[in-house]
Order: sequence, then C-alpha cells, then structure tokens
Amino acid sequence: MNSTPLVGSPFTPAQEAVLKKWTTFYPHKEMGLVEALRSVQEWDRHIRPEAAAYVAELFDLPFNRVWGVATFFPSFTTKPTGKHRIGLCHGLSCWLAGSPLMAKRLQETLGVAEREVTKDGRFSWEEMECLGACEQGPALLVNDRLQGAATPEKIAKLKDLE
Amino acid sequence: MTKVLTRHFDEPKLHELETYRRLGGYKGLEKALSMPRKDVIEEVKKSNLRGLGGAGFPTGGKWETVPPEEKSPGPRYVVVNCDESEPGCFKDRVLVTRAPHQVIEGALIVAHAIDAHDAFIFVRGEYQDQHDIFAKAIAEAEAAGFLKHCSMKLMRGAGAYISGLDTALLETMEGKKAWPRQPPPFPTVFGLMGRPTVVNNVETVSMLPHIMVNGGEWFAKLGVPKSGGTVVFSISGHIEKPGVYEFPMGVKLREVLAAAGGIKGGKKLKCVIPGGTSMPPLLEKDLDIAMDFDSVRAAGTFLGAGGMIVLDETVDAVEVAHNIERFLTHESCGQCTPCREGSAWTERILERVLEGKGTAEDLPNLTRVGENITGKVICALGETVGVVTRAYMTKFPEDFKKRVPNNG
Repeated sequence: MNSTPLVGSPFTPAQEAVLKKWTTFYPHKEMGLVEALRSVQEWDRHIRPEAAAYVAELFDLPFNRVWGVATFFPSFTTKPTGKHRIGLCHGLSCWLAGSPLMAKRLQETLGVAEREVTKDGRFSWEEMECLGACEQGPALLVNDRLQGAATPEKIAKLKDLE
Repeated sequence: MTKVLTRHFDEPKLHELETYRRLGGYKGLEKALSMPRKDVIEEVKKSNLRGLGGAGFPTGGKWETVPPEEKSPGPRYVVVNCDESEPGCFKDRVLVTRAPHQVIEGALIVAHAIDAHDAFIFVRGEYQDQHDIFAKAIAEAEAAGFLKHCSMKLMRGAGAYISGLDTALLETMEGKKAWPRQPPPFPTVFGLMGRPTVVNNVETVSMLPHIMVNGGEWFAKLGVPKSGGTVVFSISGHIEKPGVYEFPMGVKLREVLAAAGGIKGGKKLKCVIPGGTSMPPLLEKDLDIAMDFDSVRAAGTFLGAGGMIVLDETVDAVEVAHNIERFLTHESCGQCTPCREGSAWTERILERVLEGKGTAEDLPNLTRVGENITGKVICALGETVGVVTRAYMTKFPEDFKKRVPNNG
C-alpha cells in the first residue's frame, strides 16, 4: 500500500516521522493507531477531522474507523484542551476526600469552567474518572502525570507551569 | 506475616535491575527456562494462583487452553494488563512503581509457558510515570539479555475504564473502540489479531517468579484450598492509613482493616466495598469473613481486584450509589442497549432522588431497570450497573426511603 497519504498533511515533517514510526512499531500496523492518536492529541490538544483523515490514510484504515476511535476514548477530544490538561478525580474515594471542593477551587483559581480553556491557552481542567490514586484523594493529574492529593496550595501553584 | 510481592518494598532501589537481581530477581525466569513448558504450567496449576485483576480465574488453567503449535501455527502473544481503573484499586500502580522487574520477569515466564515470542504491557494513559518506569526497566532487561527469546513492548491506553477488560483491551490494542467481545472464543484461542493470547494482570504475573523459585506447593500453602498465595489490597476511604497491604488469601476482613489503622477518627463503620466499586458492600457483621475469592463470593459479593473502600457511618448510601452509577454511565461503552440506556436512567433517577424530587415510582423503577440489565449484556460492567444500586437499596433501605417521602 502507498505510504504517502493522498490528503495534504496537517503535520510537520518531524511529526509525520513520529506517526510513521507508530505504523511499524507493533507487529501489525493498526496496533499503532491509539498511540498515534495520542501523539496527535498531544501536539494539537485535540483531534481535528483533517488530522484523523491523514492518520487514516497512513494506517490504511477507513476514516470512520479512526474517527470512531478518536471520539470513543476520553483522552481524545474534538475541542482543544489547554496546554496543561488538568484532571481532578471524582471517583468514590476521591469524592469522600473532598473532590467537589477542589473542583470549585480549580474553577476559581484558573477562572474557567470545566473543559473551557483559559484565554492564554495554557490551562483547562476537568473532572475525571478513577485515576488509580485512591489513597491520595482527591487525586490531581497534570498532563497524564499524577500529582498526589489536590490541595489549595498545589492548585495555586499550577499557574507557575510554563 | 508472609509477604511475597511486597517483601522487599523497603529497598529504595528495588526498581533498578541491580538491586532486584541482588535480592534474587530473575532466578524464577532462569528456573522456568530450564523446565519444559508443560512442567511450568503444572507448577502454576499446583500453586492455585488465580487471576488477581478481578476475575479470579485459575492462571495455569487459562494458559493450558492455548492451543498447541501444531493446531494453531503462528505467533502467540502475552499481554500484561496494567489498565487498573476501578475506583478503589491502585495496587498495580504501586507494584509497578516499586518493582517493575517483577512484572517483566513474570511476563517472560508466561511467554515461556505458552511459547510466545512477543509480549506487550498495556499501561493506562494516566500512568505516564509508570509507563516511563517500565520503559527504563525493559531497557535494562534487554541490555542484560533477558529479552533474547521474547520481545517486550509498551502500549498506552486512552482513558477508557472498559479497556481493562481483557477482550476490550485486545480491541483497543488493535486500534478499535474498546468494545468487549462476546466469548467464546476466549482470547487464549482467538486473542490479539486473532492469535492465541494470554492476558494476565500485573499482580498475577508478579507472583510467577516466586512460584518458580519456591514451588507451586509452597505458594498454595500460603493461601486457602482453592486460592493460593497472597493478595495485595488497596485500601482507601475512611481509614487511618490508606495504602497497599499484602496478606495471605483468606485473611479476615477485620485483620486487614486493623492493619490499616482502623476507621478514620474512631467513627463507626457503615460498610466496606471489598474489591472495587463494582462489588456490593460488606457490613459490620461480615468482618470475620475470609478474604479469598470463594469466601467473599459466598458472602454475596466479590474479591475483585482487592480495592477496598471503607465508608463510615456519616455516608449516605444514595450518594454512594449515585457516585458509582455516574462512573458506570460514563464508562459504559455503548455496545449493549440495556447497559447504555439503563446506566443513564439509573444515574438520572438517583440524581432526582438526591435532589429531593423523587417520586413513588422511583425506587421500584431502580429495581426494575437493574433487573432488566442483568443477564442481558456482554460484559461485567453492564452486569454491575444492574447490581450495584440494588445492593445498596437492599442493605440500606432507610437511606433510600427517607429521601422519597411517598415511596409506597
């Protein structure tokens, strides 16, 4: 199959190289799809239809298959997130530990509602399902890295992130 | 107290190959490689090791169903499930952070047992730190020559709880929506890309090096007749010292709670969720039950993945049921109509009850919706949607009735 997509590329050559790497990293091409879409989400902070179309061609998959995956998984969004995507766990243990209060604190500190992006594009926050850190609730996640329990101090410090 | 997986957790550099080997690491793999595959499987069967990701299926018995090479020529795969996402469960995260080589060694033992040459570790996307720990450990293992017979690659998930279910995990790995498959065929026959695949949990594979070194009989004796060895509990909620605790299978629930310092602030216990929020809760009167797969099942709930959440007397069962059903509604994959619709209905009814707008029909409706899901869906998530609220309604009827004044 051809390896140069027919649709115009929405990516830089370096990004294209990363996506191409995912087509050969696993024993079967399509096994690299979720990782490739993770890369797209990281670069663009969301997945646009034209990006999905490019990925579909690269992986020899129908657009619908790729768009289906892109809209199924919670880590992928069709609307941009902030540069720093902040998650607050509201699973049962984190809720017992006071996640609703910390959600309020995030909204006040960052000045935006859940899933909205700050004007400078640096932050968005959202409540997330169990993050696997129930003993440190309410668990705080910044760009897929756990930060221990959310506290007013920790939330205030988020603004220091570049 | 007998500890298997967490025995050396006081060693600060246990995550590094040098320390792991100094403490006997990779001796289990060495032993396994010196044995015929059949004997490795026999040893694991003798150990009574059961899957610690939640299902409790006998591990050796699972491997045995992988068809022999002549019946199914071509590759076979090993997948380590590190997609722990059930509220209350965090032991995989701790096991990987402290002892990644224990997981890698275990996965290589599985590979030898089923004659696989490609292994994958599927790590949930939110465990980026653990993904990086694995990447470093795999590189160390490769440099030390442990990956000569079997490659090992990492793959990250993308935030879906359902990906943690074996068949949905395989779909995710194949670049598809994480829709569970309807077995049979089971993954050991038709797994990743249609090839025989063993999917084992992080904790399960971590046990294998120890079984190889000390023997299946030794492991079996640590536990109870049908559940061998130990189990690592994650404990959170209203408890003094939340964290990870390893006990022999069959330990009394009371003993586990005492080890974790007891109920926070000396309050009274309302209930304990034994295995993660999908499991019906246990009450004060159940504190002397033995924590192993079959005893917990006999008490009407499940050991699951050992994710215990302790709830004190101040908690309202309606709020708990609502929190859990909201999670399940969000995580329902949408494939089976009874689960997709029923989870959302259940959540909405509970929300209305919480807001004080409950009507006389709401409680019977919650029961009816639950009953109409159970047995009509492909996977355990759907089954749970139907079971959880009914369990809280049965055990704490007063909490529900007081919120619905004219409940009939």
